[in-house]
Amino acid sequence: MAKTILKDLRMTTESRSYIDAMHAVLTHAGWTSCSKAMLAGMTVTGFRFAVHRHLTAESPTAYNWVAENFLAADFMGVTASSSAGFAFHPTFPLYRQEAVAEIKASLDRGIGAVFWKDCFAVAAGYDDEEGILYYDDGSGHGLQRLPYGEFGQNRSPYWYYQILEDTVELDPIEIYKESLMQAIYKWETHDRMLPEADYACGSKAYDAIKQALHGGAFDPVQAGEVFECYAAAKRDVGEYIGVLASLWPQLEPAAQAYRKTAQAFLDVLGLIAEDPSMKRQARNLVRLFDEAQRAEQEAIGLIKSFMHERIRNRFDHVGLR
Amino acid sequence: MAEVILRGLEMKRESKSFTDSLYAVLTGAGLFSGPKYRLSALSGMAFIFSVHERLLPLSVTAYGEWGTVHKRAADSLGIFTVTDAGRTRHPTFKKYQQDAVKWIKSSLDRGLGAVYWLPEFGVIHGYDDADRIFYVQDGYSAESKIVLYDNFGINFTPFWYAQMFGGKVDIGEKDMVLEALRMALDDWETPHPVPPNRSIASGRKAYSYFIHALEQGDFDSFGAVYVWDAFRGSRTEIMYFLQEASLMFPGLQEAAACYEQLAGMMEQPERWTVSANGGRTLSQESIPALIGVLKEAEKLEERAMGVFRSISVQYPDLKRSTVPRWGLHTAR
Repeated sequence: MAKTILKDLRMTTESRSYIDAMHAVLTHAGWTSCSKAMLAGMTVTGFRFAVHRHLTAESPTAYNWVAENFLAADFMGVTASSSAGFAFHPTFPLYRQEAVAEIKASLDRGIGAVFWKDCFAVAAGYDDEEGILYYDDGSGHGLQRLPYGEFGQNRSPYWYYQILEDTVELDPIEIYKESLMQAIYKWETHDRMLPEADYACGSKAYDAIKQALHGGAFDPVQAGEVFECYAAAKRDVGEYIGVLASLWPQLEPAAQAYRKTAQAFLDVLGLIAEDPSMKRQARNLVRLFDEAQRAEQEAIGLIKSFMHERIRNRFDHVGLR
Repeated sequence: MAEVILRGLEMKRESKSFTDSLYAVLTGAGLFSGPKYRLSALSGMAFIFSVHERLLPLSVTAYGEWGTVHKRAADSLGIFTVTDAGRTRHPTFKKYQQDAVKWIKSSLDRGLGAVYWLPEFGVIHGYDDADRIFYVQDGYSAESKIVLYDNFGINFTPFWYAQMFGGKVDIGEKDMVLEALRMALDDWETPHPVPPNRSIASGRKAYSYFIHALEQGDFDSFGAVYVWDAFRGSRTEIMYFLQEASLMFPGLQEAAACYEQLAGMMEQPERWTVSANGGRTLSQESIPALIGVLKEAEKLEERAMGVFRSISVQYPDLKRSTVPRWGLHTAR
């Protein structure tokens, strides 16, 4: 009957995304010393921008966790394995057993594990005698307990975990450049997993937000959460491109444009604080999202001219490395 | 220095290479018993019909992101699976390669073969640590091929792929059949299985690619025969499957009749091909008739899909009415 609790593995909610969990695990493992903003950029996580057309709160996490979080690690030179599914699928008990075993094995190696507990959370320990995992979800409650048998039982029907396994030395310059390619891909491409009738991605996500604000078919509380998450992502990306601009001064205008986007999102949050129903300020909100969209479009345009050679080499699929 | 060779595991090329591999591994491990056409249909594999615009041989395996399609196959059978794959040019490949060698060996230690992209799909049925090799069956030759641990995953295509299996839960027969019909509909309605690539079509759209290539005469001659054989084989599998499942759902008999008619049109395989340079090519004279068969086959399948749809809508489908957090994606 084993028990392990990893010392000093804690998660704090700042990027409001997978990055909070990934950063906790990677820094604890000593595999990165990057800030969350840098991770958000290098892993491309911060460039993802998709909304449900009714601005539902799940929007920021409505993406292919298996594929995208694998890529997030892969872009960084971290190898990973993961699994996910519906808790209502008949095979779930088989996968739950495997998930708990894999998470425990990772903890035995001294590495935390990412899993879904109504948000991306970090498993930091386990106790076989009690049959529980210890985890931190960044809510400030410290380590919480999850019985093995309750793994995968969430408010939504999804279970997910990711084990970060090993590292490969990559040239940071290459990581940065690839992230710029992927930023373009994210801006221009709809996520196949999301039905287009219900979701919009990249540039089109702005159109969907503006339309929703016009039409009023959304719950302001949920929309507010969506905007907060993306405000954090835009802030991270602005900071990230700023760092890249210190390497490549040509990118400085792109960094400025992203900062403008981030500022517009911040102003959105300011307006919402005054008008939580988002009704009185609807027009001003639309104006701010319009500004944010134009600035981000400008940033992507600048990135495209900076990366034009590599873009040409990728023919019709800018995202395929 | 360990060595394991699984006895009684024999892969035979009769269906799609993945189906043949899956059948060999699962029957070898006692996870499936029954004829291959049933496995092919229940796993969703039989319904898959994908065609490259020039009828390249890759048509038959280019039916989507393998991890997603092959996970779906195992899910629908109630079988635990792990897949891994990637581009061998990516810098993390070596680590994944070494990792895969480990988990495939542990699968063999448990008596389970693994599916491996040679290409096409084959079955790893043994290993020898002394020589650092895997034994692989390709389903054509009784002789095993050898893959060095250090060359694992490396082949003339840009990607590697491997898959293993585990435990099993029982899924009711009727539920499995219903799921098969729904997988058939999914593939029928997906025009392009590997976007953004539009040179490959699937389901309904695959017919127009197949017919167009034959009409234009601009196609790969080996590939054309391969696509045609695979088409004939899979439609026949569907026919056998529906014949035995048709009593499970009212109306399914009509779909079975469609596939009986379809299979009937393709009888006498020697009628469609001629020997040439040690292989077979489509017979030039029979191409107009072949086009006719395909046009008729499309109508029959469309009718069968209508039946599947009318059955499917009578039962809740939680899986397809919930947006997932995995599955479809675009290679990057």
